[in-house]
Formats: sequence, structure tokens, C-alpha cells
Amino acid sequence: MENVIEVNALEKFFSKERALKNVSFSVKKGEIFGFLGPSGSGKTTTIKILTAQLKPTSGSTSVFGVPTHQLSKEKYRKKIGIVTDNTALYARLSVYDNLKLYCDLYDVPESRIYEVLSMVNLAGENKKIVSKLSRGMLQRITLARAFLHEPELLFLDEPTSALDPVNTKHIYEGLMRLKEKGTTIFLTTHDMNEAEILCDRVAFLNNGEIQLLDAPKKLRQQRSDASLTVELTDGRTIVLPKGPAGAQRLFDHMNANEIISVYSNQPTLGDIFVEVTGRNLV
Amino acid sequence: MTFSMKRVTAILQKDYKDISRNLYVTTTLVLPLIMAVIFGRDGKSTLELIYMIINMGLVLVGTYVQASLIAEEKEKNTLRGLMLSPASTLEIFLGKNLLSFIATAVIVTGSILLMNYNPGHVPAVVIALVLSAIFYLGLGTLIGLMTKSVVEASVIIVPVMFVFSFISFMKPFMEKYPILTFIEYLPNMQMLDLAAQAQAGTGFGDVGSNLLIIVGWVVFIHILAVYVYKKRMVEE
Ligand SMILES: Nc1ncnc2c1ncn2[C@@H]1O[C@H](COP(=O)(O)OP(=O)(O)OP(=O)(O)O)[C@@H](O)[C@H]1O
Ligand SMILES: [Mg+2]
Repeated sequence: MENVIEVNALEKFFSKERALKNVSFSVKKGEIFGFLGPSGSGKTTTIKILTAQLKPTSGSTSVFGVPTHQLSKEKYRKKIGIVTDNTALYARLSVYDNLKLYCDLYDVPESRIYEVLSMVNLAGENKKIVSKLSRGMLQRITLARAFLHEPELLFLDEPTSALDPVNTKHIYEGLMRLKEKGTTIFLTTHDMNEAEILCDRVAFLNNGEIQLLDAPKKLRQQRSDASLTVELTDGRTIVLPKGPAGAQRLFDHMNANEIISVYSNQPTLGDIFVEVTGRNLV
Repeated sequence: MTFSMKRVTAILQKDYKDISRNLYVTTTLVLPLIMAVIFGRDGKSTLELIYMIINMGLVLVGTYVQASLIAEEKEKNTLRGLMLSPASTLEIFLGKNLLSFIATAVIVTGSILLMNYNPGHVPAVVIALVLSAIFYLGLGTLIGLMTKSVVEASVIIVPVMFVFSFISFMKPFMEKYPILTFIEYLPNMQMLDLAAQAQAGTGFGDVGSNLLIIVGWVVFIHILAVYVYKKRMVEE
């Protein structure tokens, strides 16, 4: 399958401090690729380099098969949507006027404004002045703005960090629909649950280094010992190993009607992150 | 790359809506007009005084308003969005200059009328004023790009204002200190020289060198502004 993003041996130094160390990965067309890491791990730095806002120290990066420094061409800009905290909205203008500017810049009909506002659950809020909006609303308008021109590739830097669970879910559904239409999404987050729900593949970034890269499901399965945790009616919680011995005990408890619930002992992505990097997220 | 007037006017429209809700800028616009009323009402003002007021208008609107617009876009992180859009550097620059240019034209014309200033050779003076306005806009863009905030831009503007509004009164010192002769080549001094010749009734041919020097400043300041923009927008 065609690669939309390719990164090879990318390094970034801020004076003497190394923010990215030998980062290599590729993102396939149509996948949602998650960049996971704690604060300061280099997620935003990577997005800035990939969108030609920041010069890499060494290594090569390409998007749509062209080196990122050539992305300033109009035809590439039209294929890319970006949501980062350094691309703000005009505070004194209404939501509508903010989006209208971008319709004109990207050559999109104004009717798109209503479509994207409903995508982010803000239909009807078009007349509000941006300075009067809450942080979560701002984040959703910024997302809506990036959706306007139906980009083939979206860069989303922690897109749901300010959102409540209901709106987060709404955005997830929207992103999944975009994915179904073939949009490639490069997403950073420190929310493991988000990565689990959305991402086809994730890279764990720690201190500027990729420490693990695979599909979330595979990562979990590789680390599962297939044991089960069982809660019993007498209040005990027991762990049953895989194999015949565990199966027999499960059968006995079930037969005696003593089981309240059964959990798989697969680690979560968060558990795996801690195991691999030796540090907690956030 | 195709040039799109639609993108240029989109930026202009956005700026217009934005500025009309920006009290800070709208009050700056009336200042040169007030000065024109105070200093030039009787119509007997010297050319130096008239051009002090005109340059004040050019600096306050052309340079200061433009610098504030650019500095605010940078400070509030909205310029980045323009840069990442399909708009080319030329489209962004044109779009971001148009409103300040229109405002400068209106304010300077207004103050000229208020002062009852009657330039001898109207076409020459108008061309020189338009070119000067474009220079002052470029200077504003440059200041906006080099400062971190609107507040910082307002501080920087004070010496700029001094240089371009009051330096003509330094002329007597030039004979005493030859080192100061470079002042003569500043665009505002060229403008004043041109205006004096126009008043004396000379034609286009005589002011050609003045116009050429101002054009030189226009080209220089805009090349510098584009260079700084490109440098600032891609972090190291
Ligand atoms: N312009 C800069 N100058 C100097 N150091 C920088 C600069 N930008 C980022 N850094 C450093 O690079 C490292 C990575 O920063 P980055 O912003 O990429 O982290 P992040 O993963 O996006 O974090 P967060 O989750 O908090 O957004 C940090 O140590 C940061 O201090
Ligand atoms: Mg970040």
C-alpha cells in the first residue's frame, strides 16, 4: 500500500538538547496513525517538521512522496489539514467569518461551513464571536476548519484534549467516517483509550525516541498471558491461568453459580507504555 | 502557482471586519486628522510642517497600523494558518497590505484637504505619496514581523515616528555635520524635496531622481520584509 508519510532517521536538536532521536516510520494511505507519548516527548515537534513549520536537524521526511520543504505548493496545501495549538482563530470575528476566510483560501463553497459545524456538534453556533467561546468549542471549531476542504491527510495534535466525553465521542465518530472515506490521519495523543479506539497503528514516543510501533491489538495480544481474572460471589477475586487447570476451575465456579464477572488479563496500551518506557503517561 | 485575487480579497475582508471591532486601531486612525486640524487649519503652514503632518499620517496608519495587524496575527498565532493555507506569500502580503493601504490613502488625503495644502504638481506629488505609503507599509510589515507583540510594536514605533516626522527639522545640522548627509536620502526627505520642487513649479523630469530613490526604498523594504517573513515562519 502507498505511503502518505515517510520519515527516515529524523533527528531534531534545539541548540544542544535532542528533541528527536533517529525517528523512522511511515504512514499508509487511509490509516489512522497514533503518535503516543507523554508531555515533552516530541509529538508536536514531529508534526511541525512534517508540515514544514520547523527545520529538521537531519534525516529525511516526505509527505505525498515529496520532501516536506516542498509542501508550500498550493496543490499540496489543499490536500493537507492541520490542527495544532499554533494555528488559532480570529478572536474578534464570528465562527462563520473565521470559516468563510478559510473557504476562500481553500476555494471551497461557503455551504461547507454548515456541514463541518455539524460534524463537530456545533451546528447553529455560526454567529458566535470566537472570543466568547469555551476552550472545548474553540478546539472543535479548529477541527471544523481543518475539515472544510476535505483534506486527504489530517495532522491532529491532541485533538480532543479539551473536550468532554460526549463531544469526544462525537469527534471520534466523525474521524472514523473520514477514515472510511479514505482520509489518512496522523494523530498525537497521550490518551491511550483514544489511541485504542481510533488508531490502526501506534508509535510509542518517549524522550524523542520511538520505542514500539504496531497495531494496538497486536501489542496487547503479544503481551497477554491468556489468564483470566474472576470475581466471585463471596467477594474474592481470583486469577485463573490458561490451560486445562484454569479451565477446570472456571467450570467449577461457573457450575456453582459463584461468578459475578470474568476479565481478560490483557494489558492495556497504558500498561504496555509503562512497561516499555518505564514511565507513566501524562 | 496561480495567483488568486479571491484569496487576497478574502484576507482584506477579514481584516476589515476585524479592524472595525478593534478600538485600538480605529482611534489611531483619527489621530493624524486631529493633528492636521490643529496645525494646518490656517493654510499658512510651511511645507516642512505640512509634511511633518503627512508623514505622521503615513507612519501612524501605514507603519503603525500595519505593524499592529501583523504583530497581532503573529502574537495570536493566526498568521501560521495563512502560511499553511494554499495562499502564496505574494497573496498573503498583498492581502495583509491592502486594508492599511486604503486606510493610509484615506487618512493622508483627509489631512491634506484639512490643511488646505495645494501641491504644485499634483501627479508628481500623488505618485510620490503612493510610493511613500507603500514604503511605510513595508516598514510596518517588517516591524510587525520582528516584534513579539502589539505592545512591543507600539514601543518601536516611537523612534520610527521621530525619524520620519521630525527629522526634516534636522536639515540645518546637515551643513554642520557632513556625516548626517545620509538623512537627505531617506524617503521622507526625498518626498519633501520633491514637494518643494513641485511647489516651485518644476516638471516631472526634475523630480525623477526623487521618485527613483523612493522606489529604491520600496523595493528594499519589501524584499527585506519577505525575507524576514520566510525566515520567521520556518523555525530553526
Ligand atoms: N522552539 C523550541 N525551542 C527549544 N526547545 C523546544 C522547542 N520546541 C520544543 N522544544 C523541546 O522539545 C521537546 C519536545 O517538545 P514537544 O512540544 O514536541 O513535546 P510534545 O510531545 O508535543 O509535548 P506535549 O504533550 O506537552 O504537547 C521538549 O523538551 C521541548 O522543551
Ligand atoms: Mg505538543
